[in-house]
Amino acid sequence: MKRLAALSLANRSMLRNPLRTVFMMLGVTVGIAALIAMSTVGESTRQETMRQFKNMVGTYDVINIEPGASATRGMPSLTTVPPTLKFADSKALTEQVDGIVAVAEVQNAFDLDAKYRDKSTAVALYGISANWLEMHSYFIDFGSVLTDEDVATVARVAVIGPDVRDALFPGEDPLGKQIRIGNVPFQVKGVLVTRGAGPGGSSLDSIVFIPVSTASKRLFNRDYLTTITVQLADPLNPEPVADAITAVLRERHGIVPPGEDDFSLGSPLAAAEQVADVDSTLTRVLTGVSIIATVIGGTVIMSLMLIAVSERRREIGVRRAVGATRNDIMLQFLVEAAAVAFLGGLVGVLLGLGGGVLATVQQNMPPALHWSSIVWAVALSVGVGLLFGLQPAWKAANTDPIEALRG
Amino acid sequence: MIEISQLKKTYFRGDGTPVPALIDVSFDIADGEFVTIRGKSGSGKSSLMNILGCLDTPTSGRYLLAGEDVSGYNDRQRSLLRSRRIGFVFQSFNLLPRTTALENVEVPALYGEHELDRSKALALLQRVGLGERAEHFVSELSGGEQQRVAIARALMNDPPLLLADEPTGNLDSAAGESVMALLKELHRDGRTIVVVTHDEATAAHADRELLIQDGVIASDIVRAVSSGTGKS
Ligand SMILES: Nc1ncnc2c1ncn2[C@@H]1O[C@H](COP(=O)(O)OP(=O)(O)O)[C@@H](O)[C@H]1O
Ligand SMILES: [Mg+2]
Repeated sequence: MKRLAALSLANRSMLRNPLRTVFMMLGVTVGIAALIAMSTVGESTRQETMRQFKNMVGTYDVINIEPGASATRGMPSLTTVPPTLKFADSKALTEQVDGIVAVAEVQNAFDLDAKYRDKSTAVALYGISANWLEMHSYFIDFGSVLTDEDVATVARVAVIGPDVRDALFPGEDPLGKQIRIGNVPFQVKGVLVTRGAGPGGSSLDSIVFIPVSTASKRLFNRDYLTTITVQLADPLNPEPVADAITAVLRERHGIVPPGEDDFSLGSPLAAAEQVADVDSTLTRVLTGVSIIATVIGGTVIMSLMLIAVSERRREIGVRRAVGATRNDIMLQFLVEAAAVAFLGGLVGVLLGLGGGVLATVQQNMPPALHWSSIVWAVALSVGVGLLFGLQPAWKAANTDPIEALRG
Repeated sequence: MIEISQLKKTYFRGDGTPVPALIDVSFDIADGEFVTIRGKSGSGKSSLMNILGCLDTPTSGRYLLAGEDVSGYNDRQRSLLRSRRIGFVFQSFNLLPRTTALENVEVPALYGEHELDRSKALALLQRVGLGERAEHFVSELSGGEQQRVAIARALMNDPPLLLADEPTGNLDSAAGESVMALLKELHRDGRTIVVVTHDEATAAHADRELLIQDGVIASDIVRAVSSGTGKS
């Protein structure tokens, strides 16, 4: 308590010379403001990227199994994957792996033409099992979804994205109409709710879904899959399920050590994080610059405090004469330096938050910031204050009281 | 209270030439004595006071404070002694600027063994006749008043020994007289008081007067029977 009182008395010196205090704070304020503004923009961008990514993949609580030793860049497609993943593999996973809520099969290809009468549009075609749409948060705007029965009966039905409807059925009800893909006719039974843009701004609505059985037997005449999607009971603990999947598939594919997997497992969450967390060089440079600015702020604190120590020699002498130890004096000046830097940091945090919010709102992103960034920024300020207060405090502590009190 | 023997203090100039400030000084001061040390400027009074006040250490010789040999004490130990046993009054008051009288009196308590006690600081200001001016900034006080604040500050940690180095040096004679009168009152309360002065009239207030010349004690005059408990 008493030490606190000693320090509060000490810190009134900040008020006695407000201009100097402001200058001492300034460097730290500027550095920390830049740091916080950048963290706000960075975190907003990250969250926005994550959101767009989720918008694209529809879900994070899944493991995607793709054929081939390493995951294909971008989306897998029938034309780019090896024919190693079979319908029977999917069935085996459903039966043999614990911790799975659902297993969905996909056979897809890009850039196919969907036609209606004289109109034509390029679409991404997805042959899917009936549970895929719900699993990936696709919703029907009107009409109906694909059903297990559609898959079982190899029905020639399709659910189309809103872009396809707009391209093929302007001002016309698409339900019940026949579109043709690769000369196979499909009856439109539903239209999807729009999903807007994915990362990079490309539309996710130029898409057609048909039963995976129909895709395999009537359209592509291929018996392998491009993706098996496994929905996890416990998305936060995917490792055991991934291990079990690997074991089952290796056995089914007759792979023994040291043979490598002929399939690969991927998690959209991990992928999204990887995409979102790639710091731009610019961010890194700016972070460096802000930290340097903060450190320069520290040197300003140091030089102004050295002046203050010279000016306050008599005060130091008095305190020493009435019983203050060197440590007491040292502590007093360290606390003063830390307090000034703390205040500077605090003002910097507020300014940085203001700037960051402005910048993100201007880019139509919801502002976001981790609490930890603020804690780190404040800790950095206090640390800088303590570090650069060290020399002035040492000088103060070693002031000769006799010299200081003379005259 | 104070026993010093063969005390020497030699300063060294930048070029290494020695400046002897105290040459073989020995004397005792009993508990409850009121002593003045008189001497011309440069005779070594402040050098002696700094050692007595544990601000400085002697080059050689022995210093017993209340029976405790403090000659070899380190900085930390001497800080503790200054905090607990010694009250200091300076010629130039040495109050903290832009601070109230009360806050100045409280400063020693920040480094003492007891919790900060505002009412005690206030009582001390009343004791020196400045109860009304407690919340005044020191710049609003006259020289005599400032020196009284300094005396109240010196008393804050209840030191048995009060040292004053030319306490009237910056005051006019009336203010100087009243400061000496106050010190005499404090002496009557049982404190041991040592006052340094170059002024004969001021020195005459004390029961006993040590005369210092060129770093040696030239005379030791006992003027009155001490009201203290010890013998000289
Ligand atoms: N730090 C010092 N360095 C060198 N010489 C000093 C120092 N302090 C005092 N002296 C010298 O020691 C002598 C005694 O000084 P001081 O004790 O201050 O005398 P007084 O207080 O009686 O005027 C003087 O000659 C002074 O110049
Ligand atoms: Mg002197």
